Amino acid sequence: MFRHTPLRYAALIILFSGAVFTAFTAGYFGMEILTEILILAILVLALDLVAGFGGMVSLAHGALMGLGAYAFVALATKGGLDPWVAASAAIAITAGTGWIIGAICARSHGIYFIMATLAFGQMGYSFFFERPFFGGDDGMVGPGRFDLSFIGVDLNDGRSFALFSLALLGLVYLIAVATLRSGLGRSLTGVMHNEKRMRALGLTVWRVKADVFGISGAMAGLAGVLAAQHILFISPNLLHWTVSGEALVVVILGGLGTLVGPLIGAVAFVVLKHELSHVTTYWHLIVGLVLIAVVMSRANGIFGFIEARFGPKTDRVIQSIQTREDAEEAVKDA
Amino acid sequence: MTHDLGFWTLQTLNALQLSMLLFLLSIGLTVIFGLMHFVNLAHGALYALGAYFAATIASTAGFWVALLVAPLGVAVVGMALYGGLISRMRKSGPMAQVLVTFGLIFVLLDLTRIFWGDLALAINTPAALSGRVDIFGTGYPAYRLFIIALGLAIFAALALILSRTQIGAMIRAGVDNDAMAACMGINVERLFFIVFCVGCALAGLAGAVAAPLLSVTPGMGLEILIPTLIVIVIGGLGSLKGAIAGSLIYGFVQTFGAVLLPGVASILIYALLAAVLLLKPVGLFPAKG
Repeated sequence: MFRHTPLRYAALIILFSGAVFTAFTAGYFGMEILTEILILAILVLALDLVAGFGGMVSLAHGALMGLGAYAFVALATKGGLDPWVAASAAIAITAGTGWIIGAICARSHGIYFIMATLAFGQMGYSFFFERPFFGGDDGMVGPGRFDLSFIGVDLNDGRSFALFSLALLGLVYLIAVATLRSGLGRSLTGVMHNEKRMRALGLTVWRVKADVFGISGAMAGLAGVLAAQHILFISPNLLHWTVSGEALVVVILGGLGTLVGPLIGAVAFVVLKHELSHVTTYWHLIVGLVLIAVVMSRANGIFGFIEARFGPKTDRVIQSIQTREDAEEAVKDA
Repeated sequence: MTHDLGFWTLQTLNALQLSMLLFLLSIGLTVIFGLMHFVNLAHGALYALGAYFAATIASTAGFWVALLVAPLGVAVVGMALYGGLISRMRKSGPMAQVLVTFGLIFVLLDLTRIFWGDLALAINTPAALSGRVDIFGTGYPAYRLFIIALGLAIFAALALILSRTQIGAMIRAGVDNDAMAACMGINVERLFFIVFCVGCALAGLAGAVAAPLLSVTPGMGLEILIPTLIVIVIGGLGSLKGAIAGSLIYGFVQTFGAVLLPGVASILIYALLAAVLLLKPVGLFPAKG
């Protein structure tokens, strides 16, 4: 089960105050980067939920995010729906799609699961790429941001939008924690550790996987809705598999199966990307080398390293490392 | 147009040519996976590297030298990768392997950009193959026929090696059960190394033959990676039969889908993959029953 160690609380407090501080001090460009981090953080939380706690390494999450963005924009501009209604519908659509993908892929394991989710993701990419109704490869222009004027907030202001995204990220984090602490989340961890045993205990394994994938899909859809409002423009590139790959990189960079780690990973990844792209156009090279180094070091990402180094040497820390090894073991066995 | 013999001839040949190109790529990937349980996402990057080597060598020494040397160059890069990274990653789970090789894609992509720049390179088809050949009254580029012939020749050679030679028997034993093969006195580690290098060389060969056909760009490895993965998952991991069957299925579905059902062509192949995974989760012809 997911527990908050003092170290995790400390990391959360630092991240939260850092975000608030940046929101009130940064200029226009800093605000854009902050918002980019917050939206990416929602996506990687969604991915960590399935990959880190369910052993389901998904390459469909970029596509789920893109689907959320497209559904929101299409319903709001072509369907003429109120943005709030359109956003809710978009999240419902991605939740449903996530559930279906999770249900279909539940029987696959390891590399086959990765490939199956990749197939669904690329299917979505090709679909939006080919449809002139959705703007084809030109993409679509978004309907603008939510209207929060009834509480006196104008989201077209960069700072308000960043704080709004931060609030939603907090909400997603709480939902992820609540999911993991519920019976569903505990069943999921059980399935990851030993699927056969859970089945023998009478659990309907595919339902557990599909339900969690649906919740994760809803989160990815929310990230898509926010992304569409942030840049006010969407293109099929949002759904490309490399987006999912990058999200996976962020989760690993931060620390798989820790929820806090991926948040740190999102900060590190976006900041690294922007800083490096100032210095060199070859920033992918450095990101690639960092990724290889992190995976080869066998530490569980940045946060996993911090936990192993500075956390109390309780079974909790061992447990988190154990979880990762079990996950890899489970994937390998399958 | 669909009642015209020429149309069918042309599209069948196009499909075959695409299939053979994919076969050259997927056979290396699938046997490496079957034997070593190693997921090498950087296989596409090695293909791009092969194309770049070929483009560079062809501009000075001509196409035929390039076709021979480029695969060897890629095999050397493969050896370095094996020694530096792959042999250490063998024992980790597929997730770590996917991530390390994903990182490797980034690295190799930017290295090709640093060495060769962002602009697309082009190499000419060799003079001997630049014409057209008349087949059932349809003119077809000789170079594309050459690719089909090369793919079939490599398939025949690999089929013979795998079924008739001692090293083939050792590879099959390794795919079946590597621990048992090691107990029987087969040097499995050396076998892995050889297969990995041959797989890399075949990827380099695919890149070299594709270079005159497509323009050589840094992104070409990323573009071909997904089709290659689809081929090996449809075909089933680790088997020659699976690689050739998957390549043919992909080539024909893609080519005929694009001309007969243009609206859904791009989704068709992914839907097919999803269907195969649903009905036969380990592919059509997996090496292990």
